[in-house]
Amino acid sequence: MTSSLPSGGPDAASARAAAVSLGARPRSRGWFHSQSTRRLAFGYMLLAPAALYVLLLVGVPFLFSLYLAVSDANVGEPVARFVGLDNFRAAWEMDTFWIALRNSVVFLVVAAIFKSILGTGLAFLLLQSFKGKKLVRGLVVIPFTLPISVSVLSWKWMYDSQFSVINWALSRVGLIGTYGSESWPIWLGQPHLALLACIGVNVWRSFPFSAIVLLAGFTSVPTEVLDAARVDGCTFFQRFRHIVTPMIFPILIIGFLFDTVFTLSDLSVVYLLTAGGPGNATQILPVLAYQIGIQAGSLGRGAAIALMLVPLLFPALFLMLRNLKRRDW
Amino acid sequence: MSDSLPVLARHASVSRRRFLKVAGGGVAGSSLLTMLDARQAPAQLKGTTLRILTWSHFIPAYDVWFDKWSAQWGEKNGVKVKVDHIPHLELPARMAAEFAAGAGHDIVMNNATILVRLYYKSLLDMTDVYDDLGKRHGGWIPAAKSPIEVEGRIYGIPTYYILLPMLWRKDLFDANGLKAPDTWELARVAARTLKSKGNPTGIAFSHCNDANLNWRSLMFSFGATETDPSGENPTIDSKEMREALRFAKALFDEGMTPEVFSWDDASDNRFLASGIASWIHDAISAYRTTESTNPAVFKNTFVAMEPAGPGGKRVSVSAPICFLSWKFTKNPQGAKEYLTALVDADKEGMVASTGYNMPFLNDLAKKPMPVLGADPKLQVLQDFPKIVAFFGHPGPYSPQIQEVANLFVLPDIFTRVARGESVDAAVNWGSGEYRRIFAKHKRA
Repeated sequence: MTSSLPSGGPDAASARAAAVSLGARPRSRGWFHSQSTRRLAFGYMLLAPAALYVLLLVGVPFLFSLYLAVSDANVGEPVARFVGLDNFRAAWEMDTFWIALRNSVVFLVVAAIFKSILGTGLAFLLLQSFKGKKLVRGLVVIPFTLPISVSVLSWKWMYDSQFSVINWALSRVGLIGTYGSESWPIWLGQPHLALLACIGVNVWRSFPFSAIVLLAGFTSVPTEVLDAARVDGCTFFQRFRHIVTPMIFPILIIGFLFDTVFTLSDLSVVYLLTAGGPGNATQILPVLAYQIGIQAGSLGRGAAIALMLVPLLFPALFLMLRNLKRRDW
Repeated sequence: MSDSLPVLARHASVSRRRFLKVAGGGVAGSSLLTMLDARQAPAQLKGTTLRILTWSHFIPAYDVWFDKWSAQWGEKNGVKVKVDHIPHLELPARMAAEFAAGAGHDIVMNNATILVRLYYKSLLDMTDVYDDLGKRHGGWIPAAKSPIEVEGRIYGIPTYYILLPMLWRKDLFDANGLKAPDTWELARVAARTLKSKGNPTGIAFSHCNDANLNWRSLMFSFGATETDPSGENPTIDSKEMREALRFAKALFDEGMTPEVFSWDDASDNRFLASGIASWIHDAISAYRTTESTNPAVFKNTFVAMEPAGPGGKRVSVSAPICFLSWKFTKNPQGAKEYLTALVDADKEGMVASTGYNMPFLNDLAKKPMPVLGADPKLQVLQDFPKIVAFFGHPGPYSPQIQEVANLFVLPDIFTRVARGESVDAAVNWGSGEYRRIFAKHKRA
């Protein structure tokens, strides 16, 4: 094709150039062969496993829970009938449900406060330079990595009404009386104390996670910025409030989201320590859902109770994610 | 000739498939009957597999015996037997998973949480095995059918139950001139007297199975009932129930410490072993373990009959253990034969459990029973089969009662009263919870 073109003169040169560029253009390529499309497709391909994971492991079970919650499904009946909102109504009619709902909210809020305080404190401690820092950093995550049943059973022993090591230690230093006296705490027997004891174990297990998340955030703050603030006369709390917190805000939010979900859906601590007792003093929604849905076999009502966690979680998640997006880091 | 056509057509309808179905059913049925009659596994069992899911027994020696006996039965009958032990509280979740998957163990144990009425449509009908065992062992004790019978058919084999008798410290009672706790009133007097001397009593008020069992024993002995005989209607709102609650409140105030609100199923065992308890109402494992942990307590602890209520009535609420088999099992014949042999070997099992397992069959419960008959302290347990009852008494062990038990509604009624709520308010609250649960099951 190019060989047929006349040679010589500027017109001839531009015609040659055009011919060359025409020749370089792919002859039968579609739109999807363009570089930008290919990049887009490659991006989606990379995202696909995560999307599939979310769809299969989160979306499908969630939709299945919705299906169960509006049906009369039980563990022994493979075919269920549609019952509308009956299961939700049945839950609302239960005293225990409202107690569980209240306890779940208290559990979430109190645990979040303690985890924030302890996690921040620990993160600052781990930020300091000291000998054996790496070892300490490894050790603090042990509560989080231990199998939950093992750690909770250890706590059960520590909270034992008769052999509690906590009580014996407190008694030894004179802070409480001896076994059998009125000041001897019954950790899992007194209603408010029992709930606090359960929250304590949850905090003990999870605050290292908060600390690690915060630590990751703290280390990402440029030291120059902090040094400049220090030179400008900022106190520790001013630096923390006006520099560190805004800079690590996205990390804080993500950590908080994880923690909220983990705490609200934590079944094991309460189930293993008290099974919701005494007198429903520690009853929370996940335990109630398990007792009704699995142990008593009413899958529909169990699913309805479990789904009550969604209205609790959704506004919190929505507000946090919207706040995060507004900042648009 | 023309008449022969319809005849031919009818013959043609007995297809090869139908012939095989009828003939196969006949062979299977007759071989099962022969097998049950001859007490020998049929040849077709050879080369099959049987997977069994059971709990980890409180007496570890029983598990050792169970595994060994199962392996020997397997060897004798050419069946590969595999036994899996899991904590009993995990059994409901495992059953749900196996049901959903349509695969899993051939035989599954239920302990205290009896799920027969939930799954019966998917369980193997065991009526033939149950009837055969009853015929050969002098019949079943009255309470045996309650957990496993649905619409006149039997869907599980009850193997043993666990008693919770009175375990009392004779040395402390004698030193204070107290009578043995033969009635609940005598038990209360003893608790009141001995608490002031540093030896209180204790029954769990918490969310644990002991609380479900013990408070039911007390209320039934006081003449209260949980449901009517049909099991369809709750009956806890009664004069007798109120009386039982008033008694429990007095027993708590006079004879217990608040630690009972925090107890689990093993706390009273530790309470007895520590030497502090004056009496507890618990399985004999509590007594057995003191043999090694506190020999002095073991020596002085005695076992008593279920205390009588004000009208002299005695009802002992026990935890039943039943074995079920899925319809989807590939080895139904093996499952039936295995369970038959297991119940036949009950005496061996009772010895291995050191008298912990109580038999459901009358002949096996005849005096002297293994272990119990030979131990003067435990001989009294041989009188329990007549007074044994299960959750829901006098009605059956239904799914609604199972839900009531799973939510610990009954211990919570007692807890409310012990904590100071009025008896009427606690009964009203409890009746409401019962009614709601029963209504939901009725609707379903």
